[in-house]
Amino acid sequence: MDQPFALTSDLRNNCLVIATSGYVNNVGGEAIAKEFARHFEKGTKKVVINLAKSKVVNSIGMSFLIEIIEQLEESGGKLVFTDLDPAVEKMLAIMGLFKFAGKELNVEDALKSLSSRK
Amino acid sequence: MKLTIALPKIPDIELVALEGLERLARSMGISEEKIGEAKILVTEAIINALEHSGQKNPTVRVEFSMTKKELVVLVRDYGKGFEPGTIEEPDIRKKVSSKNKRGWGLKVMKSMSDDFKIESGKRGTKITIKKFLS
Repeated sequence: MDQPFALTSDLRNNCLVIATSGYVNNVGGEAIAKEFARHFEKGTKKVVINLAKSKVVNSIGMSFLIEIIEQLEESGGKLVFTDLDPAVEKMLAIMGLFKFAGKELNVEDALKSLSSRK
Repeated sequence: MKLTIALPKIPDIELVALEGLERLARSMGISEEKIGEAKILVTEAIINALEHSGQKNPTVRVEFSMTKKELVVLVRDYGKGFEPGTIEEPDIRKKVSSKNKRGWGLKVMKSMSDDFKIESGKRGTKITIKKFLS
């Protein structure tokens, strides 16, 4: 069975990198949003969410990420997803998240794409 | 092959159904990509049923019928039912600036499946999802 949700976060080149593991449900989505808020308050506006170890997500968990997108849109920031399982990527595309957020193969590529932004 | 499960509303109970689905699919040699999409469909159908049945202690019945070619999922609750035509399709542009960012389950199920049907009435709701697996 899928492992319980957990996350780690790291600041790299002024970008917040959040890596999750396990099922991203409402609890997981809220935890990601809280971790983002903690850094956003201090001025971080570039965010990478690495979902490599989250093969199962649900739309309630993902809806918390729309909160992150809203705050980044208002502040000129940017969110990039990386290491997406094909099914998770399809779900995010159906929800339209890539109209506002980017996607890259891995964290290094995401950091490169964000480094070109002010 | 068939699998039937009755699920009470406890946190993350949908993972029990996913475990059964995954074992069934692997035994039949279904691709990882199709298994991943099937898991998302089943997750959405179950959480939707448990959340919207309107019952105090809901139970959701889940049936999987799987061949190498297709998966048919039936998710049934015994709640108050709803009128599917009244549910507005979510739009990310509106959701970004809206207080309510939820309400994506039906859209995900319709878009990710190959056939999707809702039957709802006073005695509950039955969602039937078909997904081609090859």
